[in-house]
Amino acid sequence: MTIPLIETHDLLKDYEIGGEVVHAVNHVSLSVERGEFVAIMGASGSGKSTFMNMIGCLDVPSSGTLLLDGIDTKSLDSDQLAEIRNRKIGFVFQQFNLLARTSALDNVAVPLIYAGVGYADRRQRAQLKLEAMGLGNRLENTPAKLSGGQQQRVAIARALVTDPLMLLADEPTGALDTQTSLDIMGIFQKLNDDGITLVVVTHEPDIAEYAARRVVFRDGKIIEDEPVKSRRRADYHA
Amino acid sequence: MHSIIASLAGWGVNVAIALTALHTNLMRSILTTLGVMIGVFSVILAVAVGNGAQVSVTQQIATLGSNMAIVVPQPDSGSGPPRPNDRGRLTERDGQAILRQVSGVRAVAPQIRNSVQLVTPGRSATTQATGATPEYGIVSNVNASEGRFLTKSDVGSAARVAVIGQTVSDKLFGDDSPVGQTIRVNRVPFTVVGLLESKGSNLGTDNDDQIVVPITTLRQRLLTTPTQGPDDVTLLFVGFEDEDALLAGQKEIKSLLRNRYRVQKGKINPFTVRTTTEIAETTGQVTQIFQAVLVAIASISLLVGGIGIMNIMLVSVTERTREIGLRMALGAKRSDIRNQFLVEAAVLCIIGGAIGLFLAMLAAAIFQKVADFPAPVGIDTALLSVAFSAVIGLLFGGYPAIRASRLSPIEALRSE
Repeated sequence: MTIPLIETHDLLKDYEIGGEVVHAVNHVSLSVERGEFVAIMGASGSGKSTFMNMIGCLDVPSSGTLLLDGIDTKSLDSDQLAEIRNRKIGFVFQQFNLLARTSALDNVAVPLIYAGVGYADRRQRAQLKLEAMGLGNRLENTPAKLSGGQQQRVAIARALVTDPLMLLADEPTGALDTQTSLDIMGIFQKLNDDGITLVVVTHEPDIAEYAARRVVFRDGKIIEDEPVKSRRRADYHA
Repeated sequence: MHSIIASLAGWGVNVAIALTALHTNLMRSILTTLGVMIGVFSVILAVAVGNGAQVSVTQQIATLGSNMAIVVPQPDSGSGPPRPNDRGRLTERDGQAILRQVSGVRAVAPQIRNSVQLVTPGRSATTQATGATPEYGIVSNVNASEGRFLTKSDVGSAARVAVIGQTVSDKLFGDDSPVGQTIRVNRVPFTVVGLLESKGSNLGTDNDDQIVVPITTLRQRLLTTPTQGPDDVTLLFVGFEDEDALLAGQKEIKSLLRNRYRVQKGKINPFTVRTTTEIAETTGQVTQIFQAVLVAIASISLLVGGIGIMNIMLVSVTERTREIGLRMALGAKRSDIRNQFLVEAAVLCIIGGAIGLFLAMLAAAIFQKVADFPAPVGIDTALLSVAFSAVIGLLFGGYPAIRASRLSPIEALRSE
């Protein structure tokens, strides 16, 4: 048996608001194997995003254990966590989070800067990823000159440019219309078919149906964790 | 080796990011740079002017002559260069006594100084006349570059002859040779017998704007206000053989004159004896203080420029918190973020410093031309100022940069 890619035990995240301790994530244990496509669902405030931020090493758990690719993250310092984010994780955000006034190519190349890749290499690798997203003719466009769907595809190319093990997407279709959302889910399904592990946080039930496994959060706890029964397929067209 | 190349490449990326960020807020960047620019400009100019003043003072003192004591009839009330035309008395006979009784004296040059009006057909000028003896030439190292200097017989016969400075000659005779020409000095006709060797100008004083006439002639014909006695002088230059003689001689002159004027014990001298060495030291100190004050004031503007940098970097960090969070999510280490903002501050400062340096050199050159005042900007000053502005950048950019690097990735990402 292989080790899970993501494994949490009793993961806890407390916030203190007005002197009152809130358990945003309350003793959550979950394990995600390589190649899975997990949708994390829940109402806002359910703890799904906080959980996601912790497994993405953006936030530090209050207690509990988080193993990524078998590594206990508790023992890692901020530089090592940065390296994990850089090499093993690709992030996709609701608001795309592209650098303004920066070309698509340079946006995609940013993670490679922090991976210590040289200039020419960076551009070449970024270009390949953008071409794979069907944006080969938009390399020099700045975000302002791209549609929402195109911007999200640039963001996915950026998430993929260091060839990470997993993609973490927080409401990736939240800012997109229905058709474009389907396009993005199509891309995710294709990437998953090619072997990438995907964890997608969404509050839209139909988006979750494109995943293979559905985990539902409420009040900081998992209340549901089961395979998606009638899984939908979206066409992939880059 | 590989890691060195990688880290250099990393800095290159930071410079690229910094330039992009600075270009994005071009107006703001220019205004911030302006602060550093003005700071560096004023510091360099202050150093240059201060250096110039020192050079000038040294030259000025060198033109006086070396190993010389200056005696003026002014009560000795402290330090500073002596000024003529104050209370007290000093006579030619005092000078003769000094020459006879003080050891190591080479020559004594009594002088009377007076402002005079010069007229030639069609032209006129106002200048200072020094009534002197041939000894003035020896003690003060003044020679005629054309014609001749004063002679003993000029003084003996109170001849109406004058040796004139280059500036005076230019004003009255243009390019023509002045020797042999006649000028009216306070309406009295004089024959120009020589042209003084040029001594240039220092600190705005033109050493060539003067005429030298026999002391006797000046006393008889050119004095506008009568003196107390028949052989009163404005000052005495006492030339010594060497520096040791000068040091000993200063005391001897004092006690000799105290005796001659019967100064009682405990009373201050009605005359002042200063040596050129003392004057050089005092003026040197004065110019050093002058320079220090200048640089201190200029440094304040550099400090203000630095605070401007810090201010704008703090704004930049706040504005770009989300970008910082994103970069961290994409794998930037704390040091990457810190360096990014440090480089941004340093780039601002170095650009400002370089422009400030350039403008300061330009201003110094113009100053030198227009005001005829040396303001040398050395390579050391240049390098120092650019290094200084980079340090300002690191210092004042350091706090915002470190603050940026300490942000938690998720909090930075969530900020709006």
